[in-house]
Amino acid sequence: MALKADIKILVVDDMSTMRKIIKNMLSQIGFTNISEADDGATAWPMIEGAIKEGKPYEFIVSDWNMPQLSGLDLLKNVRSTPGLEKLPFLMITAEAEQGNVVIAVKAGVSNFIVKPFSAAVLKEKIDRIFK
Amino acid sequence: MSGESHFIEFSKPFIDAAKNVFETMVFTKLETQKPIIKSDDLSRGDVSAVLGLSGELEKNGSKCHYKAMLVLSFPHETYFKVASAMLGETYTSYVSDIHDLGGEIVNMIMGNAKRDLKTMGYTSNMAIPSMIEGKSHSIKYPAGTQVVLIPFNSTHGPIYMELCYLEAD
Repeated sequence: MALKADIKILVVDDMSTMRKIIKNMLSQIGFTNISEADDGATAWPMIEGAIKEGKPYEFIVSDWNMPQLSGLDLLKNVRSTPGLEKLPFLMITAEAEQGNVVIAVKAGVSNFIVKPFSAAVLKEKIDRIFK
Repeated sequence: MSGESHFIEFSKPFIDAAKNVFETMVFTKLETQKPIIKSDDLSRGDVSAVLGLSGELEKNGSKCHYKAMLVLSFPHETYFKVASAMLGETYTSYVSDIHDLGGEIVNMIMGNAKRDLKTMGYTSNMAIPSMIEGKSHSIKYPAGTQVVLIPFNSTHGPIYMELCYLEAD
């Protein structure tokens, strides 16, 4: 793997099973430093806290549909924060509509993945983000 | 409009999406068995994921509202094997770790089907999926809807998809 294995990753999804699936896939790809949050609202203070500690997250993998703070709103928070304008952000969604892609791209998403997906597809998306 | 004929075309994207979801994330192929009209409200499985949806159908210049429901029902054994395949751990009982798995699966099926439904003239608003667990539980279908049961065979055991659909002006 060209990327560092210990790159600091945050997986955000309100469904615990999906978080587990994504974490398993990331581990399978070779990543070792993976944290998780159960909503955008939980993730945002973690992202801010990590910056304050001087150990910011280096990659966010987030679901789109979450009850409190959506993946899109989390992305907007990230992009409007000085220093996080280019933080790699992969959005995951269950909805395969083209309109969603356009909205996410306009908000500054790094890449986009539609469920269902395999570890190979996830790796391909990550490779494109970090190439 | 013929609600019955639309029901057949409405069902197809869900079957295709289920096959795609199971092949990609559960590593098993679904074999579709003969669909039947269901005449009772008892689940065929022990764990059911239920997702309601509604929206509009616009076709040949006319427009109508519709409501529908997608149910995916698993015998316990099948559910545990599906969970084990998806999550990479062995499950032999219905524990909290795998409670929302069925909901995630129907979400993915619905999300995939939505794209094809859109090309057929349907807009769709999804509700939040709910889970029911227990032997011979009943399922509350929207009043006045016909329920079609589509059985699937898989290497993990049988899986039952149920769809109901109703058009209204």
